[in-house]
Amino acid sequence: MSSLPETPPEDGPQANPVSPVEPAEEKPASAAKKPAAPRARKPRQTTARAPRSTAASKSGGTSSRSSSSGATAAKPRTTRAPRAPRAKAAPKSKPTPPEPVPEPKPTALGIRQLYKRFGGTIALDGVSIDVPEGSFYGIVGPNGAGKTTMLSIVSGLLRPDSGEVVVHDVDVWKQPEHAKRLIGVLPDRLRLFDRLTGAQFLFYCGTLRGLDAGTVKARVNDLVAAFGLEAAVGRLVADYSAGMTKKIALAAALIHSPRVLVLDEPFESVDPVSAANITEILQKYVAAGGTVVLSSHSMDLIQRICDRVAIIVAGVVLDSGTADEVRGQKTLEERFVELAGGRKAAEGLEWLHSFSE
Amino acid sequence: MKAPDGRQTAASARTLGLTAAKTTREAFADVPRFLRLKLALLGGAFRRSPWQVVGLVIASLYGIGMMALLVGGLVAARFVPDVASVRSIVIVVGAAVTTGFLLLPLVFGVDDTLDPRKFALFGIPTDRLAVGLAAGSILSVPAIVLAVCALATVVTWSHGFWLAVLALISAVLATATSVLAARVATAVAGFLLDTRRARELTGVVGVLLVVLISPLVLSLSNVDWGARGFSIMTVLADILRWSPMGAAWAVPADTAVGRGGAAALELLIAIAMLAALWLAWRALVAHMLVTPSRSGEVKTYAGLGWFSVMPATPWGAVAARSLSYWGRDARYWVSLVMIPVIPVIILTAFAVVHAIPGTYPALLPLPIMVLFLGWAAHNDVAYDGTAIWLHVVAGTTGLADRIGRLVPLLFIGIPLIVVGTAVSVYFYGDAHVALALVGVTVCELFVGLGLSSVTSTLTPYPVPKPGDSPFAQPQSVGAAAAVVQGFSLVVIIVLSAPAIVFGVLGVFVDPAWFVSSLWAGLVVGVLALVGGVVGGAAIFNRRGPQMLDAAVKAA
Repeated sequence: MSSLPETPPEDGPQANPVSPVEPAEEKPASAAKKPAAPRARKPRQTTARAPRSTAASKSGGTSSRSSSSGATAAKPRTTRAPRAPRAKAAPKSKPTPPEPVPEPKPTALGIRQLYKRFGGTIALDGVSIDVPEGSFYGIVGPNGAGKTTMLSIVSGLLRPDSGEVVVHDVDVWKQPEHAKRLIGVLPDRLRLFDRLTGAQFLFYCGTLRGLDAGTVKARVNDLVAAFGLEAAVGRLVADYSAGMTKKIALAAALIHSPRVLVLDEPFESVDPVSAANITEILQKYVAAGGTVVLSSHSMDLIQRICDRVAIIVAGVVLDSGTADEVRGQKTLEERFVELAGGRKAAEGLEWLHSFSE
Repeated sequence: MKAPDGRQTAASARTLGLTAAKTTREAFADVPRFLRLKLALLGGAFRRSPWQVVGLVIASLYGIGMMALLVGGLVAARFVPDVASVRSIVIVVGAAVTTGFLLLPLVFGVDDTLDPRKFALFGIPTDRLAVGLAAGSILSVPAIVLAVCALATVVTWSHGFWLAVLALISAVLATATSVLAARVATAVAGFLLDTRRARELTGVVGVLLVVLISPLVLSLSNVDWGARGFSIMTVLADILRWSPMGAAWAVPADTAVGRGGAAALELLIAIAMLAALWLAWRALVAHMLVTPSRSGEVKTYAGLGWFSVMPATPWGAVAARSLSYWGRDARYWVSLVMIPVIPVIILTAFAVVHAIPGTYPALLPLPIMVLFLGWAAHNDVAYDGTAIWLHVVAGTTGLADRIGRLVPLLFIGIPLIVVGTAVSVYFYGDAHVALALVGVTVCELFVGLGLSSVTSTLTPYPVPKPGDSPFAQPQSVGAAAAVVQGFSLVVIIVLSAPAIVFGVLGVFVDPAWFVSSLWAGLVVGVLALVGGVVGGAAIFNRRGPQMLDAAVKAA
C-alpha cells in the first residue's frame, strides 16, 4: 500500500542515476550494490564464456566481482535493458569484439533425473531441466505437480532420492557450501525470522552470507529503496502484510548477489505496482547475465516475462524450451491446459443455479 | 441474523405469549447439535498418536481420581458435626474455583474450539448460537468435574429436604455461573487479545502472576494452620459469600448454619450474577459475529539493536538474532520463568519443614537455577519453526549456528553465577564454598550448553509456533519431547556429579575438597562444551534438510 504512490517515481531515478553515481563513490568495492551488482558481474561472465564453463565455476565467490568490473562491457544481450549497463560501460568502453549471438550459452542450472517420493506419492519422476545462463525461466504446473519440491531440491532444502543438481558446474548436493553461495532462494510458505525488524532481517541474511558490515548496510539501503520498503524497515516482519513479507524475502534472496535466483511463487499476493517493480529488477538482473528460475500460476505473467518455460505435471516435465517453442501458435495458458489434462466440464452442479433464498 | 429477529418481532405483536414460548424453544433448538459437536471434538482428541492417547488416558484417570476424592470429601462432610467449618471451607474453595474459571482463560489464552466467530458464516440466530455454545461448553473436562462436585454439595447439605432442594438450585447456579464465566472470559480473551502482541502478553501476565503469587504462598505457609486455620477460613468465607463468585456456594451453607436472611440475599446476588454473565455472553456473541478479528497497532524500532552490538560475522549475527528473540519472544521466557521462582520455593519449603538446620539451604538455589538455565536451550532450533530454511540456504556453518545460539545463555548465565555465588556465600557464611559453587555451576552451565548444541539439531520436538501464546499446545507432541527433556536433564546432572560430590564432601568433610570440586567442574564443563559444540556443528552441517523437514511437520 505504501509502495503504491512511491514506487513509480522512485523507480526511474533509482534505476538510472545509481550507476553514474557509483563511480563517484570512488570505492570500487561499492559496485557491489544491489542494482549494480548483477551488472558488475556481467563482465566476468563475458570473459567466462570464452573458456566456457571452467572459468564460470571458478568465479563462484562473490568477492571477485569488483576486480573485473568494467574490464569488458559490451555484451550482446544488453538489448533488453540497454540503458543501465551502457551508462556504466560508456566511460571505460573497451572495444571488445561482439561475440556471435547464436553461440549456445553455458548451463547456469542443470537439473538431471531428479526423483523424489514422499511415502506412497511420487513427487518427482525423473525431472531434467537445463537452464542456460542469462535466461528467465518459468516453471508452470498444476497444484501438486512437484514445482515446490523441485525448487526445494535445487535450493538445497530437500534431499532428492536420486539425480543431481548442478549450478554453474557446482553440484548442489556434493559441494553445498560452494553451490549455496551461487544461489539466491525465495521459498514458498516457509516462515521468516519475523521477530526481527525489516532492517534487521536483511542485515541478518547478508551477514549470514558472509558479507562484511559495510557492504551489508549499503546493500540493505539499496534493496529497501528498490523494493519500496522504506516505511516498513523499522517494523517487525511479523507485522508485515503478505505482499510485503514476500518483497522482503525476495530482497533477502538478492543480498549476496547470487548468480542464480530460485524463486517459488515470487508474485503471489504482491500488488500489481510492486510486481511490475520486481519484474523490472529481475529483468535487469537477467540482462546483466544473471539467471532467474521462478514458478508461478499466472500464465500471462510467465508468457510476458519469461524467455524459457517448462511445464511440469505430476512430477514429469511434459514440455520445455523457449517460450515460443512451448506455446507454438497458442497462448501459454491454452497450451498448459492442453498438457495438464484439459478442463473438467462443469457438470452435475445444476442445483447451484437454482438459488436458495 | 437481523432479518429473522425482525420477523419474529412483527409476529410477537399478534400473539405475544405464544411467541415468547416459541422463541425460548427455538433458542434451545440447537442445543443437542452443539452438544454432539462438542462430544465429537472431545472424541477427536483420542484420534491422535498412540502416545497422546496414553497421555490423555493418564490425565483422565488422574482427573477421575481427583474427582472421586473431592466427591468423597463432600459426602463425608455431611456427617461432620462442625457445620460452621464445613460452611467456611465450601464457600472459600467454591469461590476460588469459580474465580479460576473466570481468570484462567484470560491469563493463558485458551484456544477456543467453540469460538462464536467460527459460526458466523452459518447464519444461526444469535440467541440460538449463544445458548448452544454455552450448553456445549459444559462438555469439557473441568466443567464436568465441577458439575459433579457441585452436585455432591447437595449431599453435603442434605440436613433436610428443603435445604437439599435449595442446595440443588445453588449447585446448578454455581455450575452455570462458572461455565458462563469461563465462556465470557474466553471470548474476551479471544476477542481483545486477538493480536499477536496481546497473545504474547498473556505469557508475560502469566509469568508475573507466578512471581506475584510466590510471596503469597510464602506468607500463607507461615501461618500456623493447626491453631488458626479455621478462624482465617471463617473470616475469608464471611467476605467471599457476598462476592458474585462465592454467593451461589454460600446460599445452602448459610442456610445450614441458620442464617436464612443472609442466604436469601446471597441467592439474589447469585441470580443477578448469572443474569449479568448471560447478558454479557449474548452481547459478546452478537458483537463477535459481526466483527472480524482486529489488528493491533504496530510498534516501530529504530536501528539494528543487538546486530550493531555483536560482530558482523555469521556467528555474531546468529547471536544477535538469538538475543533479539530471547528479548522479544515470550516463548523463550517460559523456559526461564522457573528460574527466579526456584529460590523462593526452596527456601519456603525449608522454612516450613525446618528439616535442615543451619545455613546449608543457602547453597541449594544457585546450582538448581543454573541447572535449568543450562537446560533451557536444548530445543532451540525448534523455536525457529520453518524459518530455519534461511540457515540451510545460506550455508551457515554448524559452528557459527551453534556458538551464536549459546551467546544469550552465556549473557544470562555468567552474571547469574557471579552474583549468585556472592549472595549464596553471604548467607552461608564461609567464603571457601565459593570455589565449589563456581565449579558446580560452571559445569552445569557448560555441560547444558554443550548438550543443547547436540540435542537442538539432532532431536528437535514441536513447540508453540512463533506468535502463538507461549502456553498453547503444539499441534502434535510425541513422546520424543518428554524423552529429550528428561534425558538432557539427567545427562547434565550425571556429568556434573563429580563437581557436586566433591562440593558436598567439602561442606561436610574437609574444605580441601572445594578445590577439587572447582577443577572437576571446570574440566568436565569445558570438555563437554567444546565437544558438544563441535559435535553439534558436525551434525548441524549434515542435517539441514532433516531439521527443516521436522519444522515443516511440526507446523
